[in-house]
Amino acid sequence: MPTWIESITRSRLWRSFFRHGWPDNPLDRSLVMTSNIFFHLHPVKMNRKSLRVTYSFGLGVMVVIVFGILSLTGLLLMFYYTPAIEHAYSNVVRLQTQVPFGQLLRNLHRWGAHLMVILVVLHMARVFYTGAYKPPREFNWVVGVVLLLLTLGASFTGYLLPWDQLAYWAITVGTSVAGYAPLVGSQARLFLLGGPEIGQEALTRFYALHVMLIPAAIVLVTSLHLWRVRKDGGLAANDAD
Amino acid sequence: MAQVPNKVAFPKDGAKTYSLVELVKGAPTVMVEKGPDNTVFSFPVVALLELLLVLGVSALLLLMSLARNAPLEEFANPTLTTDPAKAPWYFMGLQEMLEHGHPTLMAVVLPTVMVLFVMAIPYLDNDRRGSGRWFTSPRGRKLTWNTTLYALLAMPAFILLDNAFPPRELLRGMAPDFIAQFAIPAVVMGLIVAAPVLALRRQRPTMREVMLVLFTMLFVSAIVFTVTGFFFRGPGFRLYWPWDMPGGYSPFDNL
Repeated sequence: MPTWIESITRSRLWRSFFRHGWPDNPLDRSLVMTSNIFFHLHPVKMNRKSLRVTYSFGLGVMVVIVFGILSLTGLLLMFYYTPAIEHAYSNVVRLQTQVPFGQLLRNLHRWGAHLMVILVVLHMARVFYTGAYKPPREFNWVVGVVLLLLTLGASFTGYLLPWDQLAYWAITVGTSVAGYAPLVGSQARLFLLGGPEIGQEALTRFYALHVMLIPAAIVLVTSLHLWRVRKDGGLAANDAD
Repeated sequence: MAQVPNKVAFPKDGAKTYSLVELVKGAPTVMVEKGPDNTVFSFPVVALLELLLVLGVSALLLLMSLARNAPLEEFANPTLTTDPAKAPWYFMGLQEMLEHGHPTLMAVVLPTVMVLFVMAIPYLDNDRRGSGRWFTSPRGRKLTWNTTLYALLAMPAFILLDNAFPPRELLRGMAPDFIAQFAIPAVVMGLIVAAPVLALRRQRPTMREVMLVLFTMLFVSAIVFTVTGFFFRGPGFRLYWPWDMPGGYSPFDNL
């Protein structure tokens, strides 16, 4: 190791950040994974079988990445958006026409949302067709189905926010489905929309669900999902003979 | 604290220098007879792979965003219905199903059954063997592709036939709504889904193989219904070719 790297990694400043030395030996490569908050989700060593691209296609990791991009772009969009029916639409128009890279920001969020739904579905198909739901991973499969529903919920609640014709009628059609449920149908629709029609109450509720409740649920349930992957022995490819 | 019984299977013998400390059940933890260790250190391999995925996904999304702008129509107008009025694309399968039967059946009963079935899969098929391998076996792979082909033929046929000869129109006044809109579509769809499982019975399928057939039916049918609703439904929610929509309507406007 060059001496200048050594002098950095041995400094008190470096050692206050990182609890490990330069990762060029087995011990420090282990410590990187166990002492780093981003890496500690991963095992120290991984089976080559689970790293094969044609086994998992990296779909689950890609979902996490797209969710990260959506959180970031969503946060930036919040700086320009007011969830009020008299402002929402003009906010979006202003974002697209006057804010630098505003249109690009909205495009990233929109196409990212569609991409996430597609990736989640593909991930589920991959897990099913590789038989990775089998014991001891059966509960994590159920957690995954919950995450699929949360993803659809996140996308659906975001769909109303631009408050244009497309948003209004898509949510009208989508929420009318809830009304078809026997006994509780009309109550469920009323609970979701905060009134008989889609108006300010519906926008307020969808906004709160979209920027807070559903993303928080996704973060929590995803943590459980990833933790269970580790606890259940990593990818199922490890168990295959 | 409970007293440990005095009588033990392996009494400690003062003349010996060893004793049985504990019996370990299950597979040995040492790597004896387990084949060569096939692992690598996660760092830096996994970190680099994940960085590559971050760059790849970001680049893909950026290209998509540069190629096409997110749609924005006029200010929402509750008095002016758009034609067609469509749900977001991932709910178009549901909206397409609503065209073929009673709303309670198509929008509530069947989706609930589907979600519960998907959640129940690992509890129905709880055999650990064959996990971690695509389609589990060559026979599983063949079954999956055959089922895919069957679903790709049966479901569009169901949609087109039901569209041409809708029981709710043909049986109007002759049979109660429950028969025409609930019982008939439920039985027909149930038979279409059950047919490949029944056909498989003579080959004594494993539970995994039954699940492969049922999940493939569900998955491919969901895609067929979503594609039909999204690409082939135009004004008045009637069937058109996607490239031949009247009134300048394009399915892609609804993204």
